[in-house]
Amino acid sequence: MKLNSKFHDKFSTYAILTFLSVLMGAPLLYIVSIALASDETTYMATFTLIPKEFHFENFVRVFQLDLNFLKFTINSLILVIFSIIGQVVSSSMVAYGFARLRGPGKNVLFLILLSTMMIPGEVTMIPSFVIFKYLGWINTMLPLIIPNFFTNAFNVFLLRQFISRIPVELDEAAQMDGLGFFGIFVRIILPLIKPALIAIAIFTFTWNWGWFMGPLIYINDVDKSPLALGVQILSATSSSGQVPPWNLVSVGSLLLTLPMLIVYFFGQKYLDEFGLMSGGSVGIK
Amino acid sequence: MKKREAIWFYIMVSPWVIGFLIFTLGPMIYSFFLSLTNWDLFTTPQFIGFKNYVDLFTKDKIFWKTLRNTLYYAILSVILWTIISLYLANLLNKPFKGMRTYRTLLYIPATVPVVATALLFSRMFAPDSGLVNRFLALFGINGPPWLLHPDWVIPALILMSLWGVGAGVTLLLAGMKGIPTEFYEAAAMDGANSRQQFFKITLPLLTPVIFFNLVMDVIGSLQTFTQVYILTRGGPNNASQMIVLYLFDNAFRWYKMGYASAIAWILFAISLIFTALIFRSSSLWVHYESEIKKS
Repeated sequence: MKLNSKFHDKFSTYAILTFLSVLMGAPLLYIVSIALASDETTYMATFTLIPKEFHFENFVRVFQLDLNFLKFTINSLILVIFSIIGQVVSSSMVAYGFARLRGPGKNVLFLILLSTMMIPGEVTMIPSFVIFKYLGWINTMLPLIIPNFFTNAFNVFLLRQFISRIPVELDEAAQMDGLGFFGIFVRIILPLIKPALIAIAIFTFTWNWGWFMGPLIYINDVDKSPLALGVQILSATSSSGQVPPWNLVSVGSLLLTLPMLIVYFFGQKYLDEFGLMSGGSVGIK
Repeated sequence: MKKREAIWFYIMVSPWVIGFLIFTLGPMIYSFFLSLTNWDLFTTPQFIGFKNYVDLFTKDKIFWKTLRNTLYYAILSVILWTIISLYLANLLNKPFKGMRTYRTLLYIPATVPVVATALLFSRMFAPDSGLVNRFLALFGINGPPWLLHPDWVIPALILMSLWGVGAGVTLLLAGMKGIPTEFYEAAAMDGANSRQQFFKITLPLLTPVIFFNLVMDVIGSLQTFTQVYILTRGGPNNASQMIVLYLFDNAFRWYKMGYASAIAWILFAISLIFTALIFRSSSLWVHYESEIKKS
């Protein structure tokens, strides 16, 4: 009886998960199928779920358009790389300060930091635009990149948790050996929080690689667009009567998705390690 | 020593403090001032008091529609998202072989950037040729025109958001892994079946994680922009117009900066109200078990 119900549980679990995986996987297969479709099929909108045509040349064609996809990709890489550098450097500094050092007003500052997590970015959107306009940074990557050098509350919060789990004795021993606060940060803390820094880098990558609203507001020249904006422009180029080149748009979408998948697969190890060390999840106590 | 430590503290936290002043506090004050003005970005702002707020609530019919759409979308999608991700996480937490693979499969859609998801679902939801309606046709169901119909556009957006539910699943699973297996073993000894184990052990112990996710998901879905910008631009007939899209249109299409700033503050107020409600209610359902040690 007991064995029977366990078998039943196992069977139904696999059945449900397989069904859902197929359901969730279908759109992925569909986008690949559209990406490999001919222009004819695209025009007639007769796409199939299982690919019937294999126009792999679409992956080359997308780079030969008037819209410069190579440039879009490079722009995205520039945006992401500098954002990661900014976040990793600034969030580790700030998190170390909040986790290990004492100074007047620290608790108040940390409370303010936590409460900024609840402010929707849209509240500061218009004034930020005005500031960047005043600085002459419109139509450059700077409004998208520079704020990353001033960290964000979420990253600081996570890293501080992580640093708090490192035994303070290590700091004290280092202090005995004559290391200053900055020395402890660079020689003791930074090496020990490497997995967390990689996790922060992954988060920053995920947030910025597909970011649409920021580039939409700040970038005017098509050539300066990152990939997410570029793909959207391609889908919207044609006038209302025309059919957008959905096959090439889908190729663009796949180009946009692929790096996310790669980062997920290679980064999972670090995210898991980070999750375990920082207490199972981001949950607040 | 103490003084030196304090100096280093300020040096270390200075990137955030400076960033907070330049990119958060300053803009917030400025934004509130702008919300009391009439400003087209080029001439000098004209002070008009609370007229923008009054107009939004008394004259602007589209704004009311926008509020309704955003709340409808946010509340329904967060509820469904929470229930489905709990259900899936509980399935994936079972000690069977191959769960890691399923977890990965279900997570992949969550890695697809919103722009790509939206463009893909514009094809999925195409009335005649789209995958969704062709699937429904297999069962003899004549699918609705989804994004083209005022009543169906928000359900379509909610369905689309559920495609990425794997992200929520992963967070909950991490929380579930922190629950000691002895709890389940003891419960099984007492004859609790898996449903009872879920409702008596997993769910209560997971409430702090659910609580945190709920706050973040509500704030996040109130800010929905990219999907609607790409798929519908708020249409048809403003049936999918959302707060942030309306804010964006006012600011960057019609250059009504003051009006848009007022919308931003209303969005902020709504986020705060929701956060406060969730916090207030938390004592009723969030379960804190201090003795549980996470490895």
